[in-house]
Amino acid sequence: MAKILLVEDNEMNRDMLSRRLERKGYQVEMAVDGRQGVDKAKTMAYDLVLMDMSLPEIDGWEATRELRADPATKDLPIIALTAHAMSGDREKALEAGCNDYDTKPIELSRLLGKMEALLGGAAPAAEPGGA
Amino acid sequence: MTPRTSRRSAQAHRQAALLRLTTGIVSAHNEDDIYHAMVDGLHDEALGYSFLGAFIIEPDTGDRVLRASAGWPDAPESWRVHKGEGLSARAAEDGTLHYTADVTREASYLPSRVRGSEVDIPLRVDGETIGVLVVESDERDAFDDQDFEILSAAADQAAIAIARVRLIEAERRRADEHKALLDTLADLSSELELSRVLQAVIDRAVTQLGVSGGEVAIWDEERQDLVILASRSVGKDSTGTRLKLDEGAMGAVARSLEPLIIPSYHEWMGRSEKYSDITVHSVMAAPLLIGRRLVGAIATVHSDPERVFVEEDLRLLNMFAPQAAIAIENARLYTEAQRQRQYFESLVQNSPVAIVSLGLGHEIVSCNPAFERLFGYSTEEAVGRPLDDLISTADTRSEAEAYTREALDHAVHGIGRRRRKDGAFVDVEILGVPVVVDGEQLGLMGLYHDITELLEARREAEAANSAKSQFLANMSHELRTPLNAIIGYSEMLQEEVEELGQSALVPDLGKIHTAGRHLLALINDVLDLSKIEAGKMELFLEEFDVRKMIDDVAATARPLIDKNANRLEVRCGAEVGDMRGDLTKVRQMLLNLLSNASKFTTGGRIDLEVERDSNGDGAMIFRVRDTGIGMTPEQQARVFEAFSQAEASTARRFGGTGLGLAISKRFCEMMGGGIELESEAGVGSTFTIRLPANAAVAEPQT
Repeated sequence: MAKILLVEDNEMNRDMLSRRLERKGYQVEMAVDGRQGVDKAKTMAYDLVLMDMSLPEIDGWEATRELRADPATKDLPIIALTAHAMSGDREKALEAGCNDYDTKPIELSRLLGKMEALLGGAAPAAEPGGA
Repeated sequence: MTPRTSRRSAQAHRQAALLRLTTGIVSAHNEDDIYHAMVDGLHDEALGYSFLGAFIIEPDTGDRVLRASAGWPDAPESWRVHKGEGLSARAAEDGTLHYTADVTREASYLPSRVRGSEVDIPLRVDGETIGVLVVESDERDAFDDQDFEILSAAADQAAIAIARVRLIEAERRRADEHKALLDTLADLSSELELSRVLQAVIDRAVTQLGVSGGEVAIWDEERQDLVILASRSVGKDSTGTRLKLDEGAMGAVARSLEPLIIPSYHEWMGRSEKYSDITVHSVMAAPLLIGRRLVGAIATVHSDPERVFVEEDLRLLNMFAPQAAIAIENARLYTEAQRQRQYFESLVQNSPVAIVSLGLGHEIVSCNPAFERLFGYSTEEAVGRPLDDLISTADTRSEAEAYTREALDHAVHGIGRRRRKDGAFVDVEILGVPVVVDGEQLGLMGLYHDITELLEARREAEAANSAKSQFLANMSHELRTPLNAIIGYSEMLQEEVEELGQSALVPDLGKIHTAGRHLLALINDVLDLSKIEAGKMELFLEEFDVRKMIDDVAATARPLIDKNANRLEVRCGAEVGDMRGDLTKVRQMLLNLLSNASKFTTGGRIDLEVERDSNGDGAMIFRVRDTGIGMTPEQQARVFEAFSQAEASTARRFGGTGLGLAISKRFCEMMGGGIELESEAGVGSTFTIRLPANAAVAEPQT
């Protein structure tokens, strides 16, 4: 079962996305700011990180750069989540080292497609029933 | 009656008379002195010369006028003998001595106090008879050859003296004329104001010609008449009087362009009624010409009926006329230049822009009231001081001096900060230009426009704009966060209620979800548009594979296209290759066009075509064509304006923000391209985006 780290400061977004991903069979852990996100990613083993870009403490771009600088996490798949499909956000995320990028509000099927592409075999084999 | 003296003593008397005459003549200063010396010297009763008269011929009448006499204290003054009358007429006419032994027997004798004999000796100067010396005796036949000899000698001596005096007078007159001209010219340079100059000219002409008065008029080219600008002693002040062509003496010469002498003005046909109330006897007038161009007229008058104008006067007037004409012309040119100067002066004086002129040493030569107001220095305080001492500060000094130096060479333009006298700073737009007259560098001119308020307003506007942009950014973020929750939870709830078998709730949740999405799209578009308007929208240029991007766009648009049972045909060959541009924006535009096409087409066909412009710069052409409802020309005209869906009702029927095309148009322009529309109501629409394959906008620093 793929283990996902969701770094998101907004409580409702965190609640919503984590519940939907869990219903799809993912194991989801959460961090509420960039610093906590980096610390968790470095100490625990995750298959993928969903990283909000505008975060307190350190922002998503900076957090990504830190993870890429650490040999332990330099290959960890990271998908950037930004508020609006603005020019620049995508480029900045990819430049910082994110593997992919999606915009909020999350369209679940689109995000799942991107996640599965990065996880390969680690994607959940089957959906568990209920939340 | 005096008895004749002896022959010997007579001879001695004659010698004594000649000596007296010579002595008298030598000390004579003018013609009249000579005449007096001649008659007084010869007056000797012992010789029988009881009356002597010098009758001088008046050049213009030919009359002989008694200028000096001896032996007859009661002789009429200026006794005039008309031409051809009297005994002495013969000598005056043939230039030889005539002797009349008994005057009483001559019919032409004009009775005077003697009844004896008379000798008439002509006074000849330079071969011309200028008068007659008349010598009378109370006795009949009182003169002999000896007398003729001594009298002729006396007449010759007098003639020589007269010739000498005339020469000196002519010289003096020429010198006077010369001086008069010099005075006139001096007036020109000192008092170049037309009426004053003309007054000086007429004053001098009147004096020089010995006339009683005169006038000068200038020619009014526009009204085609003469205006009297200066007059002197014509019996009234005629200044300002206008004379038409042919009216009066000046009107006549203005027509003929030739000088004119009118011996009796009031009998002259061409006289002007404007002079009927004054005494004008004879008039001499001349046109004032520059080349053959009439600039005015001059006239002189004699009010004394005894005086008439002669050729000599005309000669003098003809010497004055060109000088007066030049005076008028110069004064006119000067007045014109003066007017122009005053015109420019008033421009400078009334200019709201501060103007200062500097000499070659950067010292202030003059400044206008706006300069005084702007910098607080009066002209008196400013003049003579180096400009940069006055208005620059320690930190702008070198910049200010650089402007000044440069402006001596060529025009400079810039914005800077300068200091007022009271120490306050002013932001100014500066323009410096060299002042060059006839190729000679005289200095420079500086113009200062106070832009303190303008800059302040701009700073405020920029601050306000920045605040607005920040507000919009914050606002959109703050709006999006709860919207995300609405959209996300409604979507999640749909999944959950379906799983729970409560499908009846799904459409309502779907409406919440759709409305949330629409609101979000609106917020995003408004944010985009305001960023574009604020100039904050940036381009992120990158090289990308066009076909890959098209596949992605087609896939994204697929659900929309299927919704209205439309068919999408994509034509994008591999040969289109890569392009350089803002990928996100190109995608956003194409999605917007496809979304529009799907919305306004039902059960039709939508084409997405991409090609390179084969002729020219190889620009990328993206075309979205539909078979939908199309647009009328009126709708087409407004389609790229913000908030302008073809009809207000359209938005309600078809959804959408109405901002997509306005944003697309601006995106295209930012990338150096454009968007065009062809449409026909009921047939369909075709939008064509044309973008340079290699966008030339500088990539912003990240």
